[in-house]
Amino acid sequence: MSKTLTRSKSLSKAQLIISYILLMVSYNVSAQRQEFSVTLKDHLFYPAEISIPANKKVKLVIDNQDDSIEEFDSFSLNREKVLFPKQKSTIYIGPLSPGRYDFFGEYHPNSARGVIIVSGVELAKPVVKGADNAN
Amino acid sequence: MFTFIRLNFLSYNLFSFNFFNPKPGNYVLIGSFLSAVLIFSNTALADGIVVDKVYHPYVLPNEREVEWRMLAQRENGVSNDLAQRFAYGQSVTDNLMLEFYVLGERDSNDNFTLSAYEIEARWMMTEQGQYWADWGMLFEVEKEHQENNWEVTSGVIMEKEFGRTSLTLNAFLIYEWGDTIEDEMETEFRLQYRFRHLEQFQPAIEVYSGENYLGIGPAFMGVQRFSGQKQLKWEAAFITGINSESQGHILRLAIEYEF
Repeated sequence: MSKTLTRSKSLSKAQLIISYILLMVSYNVSAQRQEFSVTLKDHLFYPAEISIPANKKVKLVIDNQDDSIEEFDSFSLNREKVLFPKQKSTIYIGPLSPGRYDFFGEYHPNSARGVIIVSGVELAKPVVKGADNAN
Repeated sequence: MFTFIRLNFLSYNLFSFNFFNPKPGNYVLIGSFLSAVLIFSNTALADGIVVDKVYHPYVLPNEREVEWRMLAQRENGVSNDLAQRFAYGQSVTDNLMLEFYVLGERDSNDNFTLSAYEIEARWMMTEQGQYWADWGMLFEVEKEHQENNWEVTSGVIMEKEFGRTSLTLNAFLIYEWGDTIEDEMETEFRLQYRFRHLEQFQPAIEVYSGENYLGIGPAFMGVQRFSGQKQLKWEAAFITGINSESQGHILRLAIEYEF
């Protein structure tokens, strides 16, 4: 067997393995995504506690009704998002394991605070949107 | 013209792929692309240092930053190099960041001099967490200070969360030409697997491949937040060459102040 052929076979094998890993890692599930609405007013988040289901991606829509800019920040959620005044912003979070995940507004960290509570039990679906994204 | 054709080839392959709703067949394309990067990165000629920052695909609106990076390479009896770069960056739209660099290197007489300029654009292509992974692209143009030598880089940035860890991949295609260097195409691959332990301390492992170099080593990074958008980010990594042609060690440091 020629060296070229051996190399070609080993390349195909490497490509196949990498492709398979990526395929498994990025398994495409067309799931309906729950949407949770949050309002930011007078530098306070309403509700300040949001319960979401475990191990599912959800969509957080934050309506900044203040006249000033805010930045949603959470290390535990691994998210940073600028919330422009008088605009709605969308943040995708999860899938998360059960627990509490704090978030705050960087410009008003003492007042603009909240927590995402991830529960293992099945929650009632507040708003169901179309399957706009993959997991 | 040659550059244009080569870059067009890359652009066609990248843009023809639907990153947002990939079909199973397209994973083969990603796999093939990353495989090609890994394979061809071992065939390029060695004339630079592959170890640098691993880029993340995120851009925030109204973001401004100043950055300092240092890279020291030591190989017994072969090299003892030092390079630094200073940068100013600013997001120009909600998903596009421009950064301007000046690069300095220590020459053979131990004099530290200005060596090159660079402009870089980082494009956040997808909203964080919206799809199965987050995607971005990077474009760079670099010119040497005293020589008519140029380098153009374009590449893909990908990040995927696995619980409290994040995997970041950078795959770059580089074309360089000029009066005192050979025209050539190079590829680079960078990988970072980070554990988000504490905001100020996040250990990681980094892998670099390209220009006959293959290196791996530990990295540590963190962020200290101040009021508003102000924050100080730091990174440090110690990369060791692990193939027969890259025996030395490289220390890289980076400090970034966002405001």
